[in-house]
Amino acid sequence: MTCKLWPPVNKEEYKGVWVYLERDGDKRLKDVGLELLGKARELAQKLGNSEVGGVIVAGSEEMAREAIYHGADKVVIIDNPDLKTYTPMEYAEAIAQVVQKYKPEIFLIGATKRGRELAAYIANTLTTGITADCTALEVDPKTRDLLQIRPTFGGTQLATIRTPQRRPQMASVRPGVFPKPQRDTSRTGEIIVERVEIPTRRTRLVSIEKRIERDIADLPPVESADVVVAGGRGLGSAEGFKLLIDLAKLLNGTVGASLMAVRAGWAPHTRQIGQTGKTIRPRLYIAVGISGAIQHLMGITEAKTIVAINPDPHAPIMENADYAVVGDYKQILPALIEELRRLKNQR
Amino acid sequence: MKIVVFTKAAVPLSSAIRIDPKTGTLIREGVPLTANVWDRDAVEFALKLRDRYGGEVIALSMAPPSGIPALESLIGMGVDRAILASDRAFAGADTWATAHVLAKTIEKFIPDYDLIVTGEETIDSTTAHIGAQTASWLGVPYVYYVYDAEIKGRTIVVRRFLEDEGVDEVYEVEMPAVVSVLKGSQVPREISLSRKLAARERIQTISNKELGLDPECVGLRGSPTVVAGMAPAVYPPRKKIVLQGESGEVARKLVEALKQEGIL
Repeated sequence: MTCKLWPPVNKEEYKGVWVYLERDGDKRLKDVGLELLGKARELAQKLGNSEVGGVIVAGSEEMAREAIYHGADKVVIIDNPDLKTYTPMEYAEAIAQVVQKYKPEIFLIGATKRGRELAAYIANTLTTGITADCTALEVDPKTRDLLQIRPTFGGTQLATIRTPQRRPQMASVRPGVFPKPQRDTSRTGEIIVERVEIPTRRTRLVSIEKRIERDIADLPPVESADVVVAGGRGLGSAEGFKLLIDLAKLLNGTVGASLMAVRAGWAPHTRQIGQTGKTIRPRLYIAVGISGAIQHLMGITEAKTIVAINPDPHAPIMENADYAVVGDYKQILPALIEELRRLKNQR
Repeated sequence: MKIVVFTKAAVPLSSAIRIDPKTGTLIREGVPLTANVWDRDAVEFALKLRDRYGGEVIALSMAPPSGIPALESLIGMGVDRAILASDRAFAGADTWATAHVLAKTIEKFIPDYDLIVTGEETIDSTTAHIGAQTASWLGVPYVYYVYDAEIKGRTIVVRRFLEDEGVDEVYEVEMPAVVSVLKGSQVPREISLSRKLAARERIQTISNKELGLDPECVGLRGSPTVVAGMAPAVYPPRKKIVLQGESGEVARKLVEALKQEGIL
């Protein structure tokens, strides 16, 4: 009573929790892969001390060691000179071959733009299911099913999805959703170099260039700061960010922006917070002139304390804040900056 | 050039979303559906290529009959014709089972296609799976987040933007191929009302009678993923302490509170 296009799966053969480790250029791995290794360790423990594995395409031993320090027991480096540069189909084919060979029970992919591009092709090639943008992952000890929890219908609902009949079970997770585990240089593991053949290349990279987006301040990226002050459409203009930058500097933090502020060209893409931007977990988040659409709230659920400053007491962000400050930011922020300076001088 | 453009008859978020309590999947039957907003970028992109290089643009959608108005509006935009793959057996499909039907429809009804164009993602499911899955079904190359392209013989040269890395890339891709179009990257043309009103005769509806797919491999039964539960999303409870009044006073209260919390 199952689809005849699905090759029979013997679940017993599938073991371990594996992660695709995307490179960030040719020097290091992207953080999202390391974040997923942390989650993979946790799931592997729940599955009775399974092995944690990683896959890197055209990576270095140094990258593989970094993955081991962050929780991997085994790292496969796909070695094929043809795969030095990224192309979607060829990468997906190569990764699918390695996953097919090592048969992990669970395979996780970081949902960067490139990761999203690869994930569904890999799943389809392995004739298995995939769940996009999971915000939580659990296991059902009885069935060993991965519970893939994802927001859907504009973030209003949380769906729990299983892949009961197929293996591996696949899920993608956006950067920042899970914390990066501690780097432990005493960890050891196995590094395997796999020579993978790919079909005749049908995609070629012609050129790659960085778009020069003017940053608004020389401040750290939003995903690594303890304090984030973010502005939205309610600022009224790019000028408004000046006050936010002053406040952020006083708090040793950084500035972020809502999708609307980025679309208006007031802040660069790299500072966008929310479902289509960065997921952040600061100690303090201050939202200025941001209405708080669900897509924005999805990016800040892990913030310890949320302060919202908005003239509209009924804006959704005010319902989702620890401190809802009703008023005009042009008056509130200077007063707040003055108060903080006074506090600094006292200390 | 024969260009297939996918569209999803999506549930606009403003309308009441109804979930089938038995399967946890979205009920689309009897719900007013509109073409997924990001598909308009895909349609505009496809029409621009057709206007420049000639040929035809065919819209393809897997949906219940209530998905017809979505196709009519795309024909109103300038799409030449549309195919609606509609069968009760297709209901409740995950992205694997959806891509299966779309790929088999193309193999049977548009075997000489050059290019498949999809939107970046749908507004109601936001998985961005279908383009890559269809490419895998058909065994053809694919590139996501494209905003510009030109045809050179049997290759398409695409320009795309990766928002998270802030880079533009140019790829040469052998056709047939699949591309997804960066959302918000096009300016979709107006819908001609007269074209839209006469659109019905340009829509071909096919069912599993014509496709002959194993009922175990389509719809809910042919979906590797199963929705095991659905619950309203709950965000962590917040204190919701309201501060208002004279700004100096408000600032003092806020700083005091943050000191108490140990943040300052």
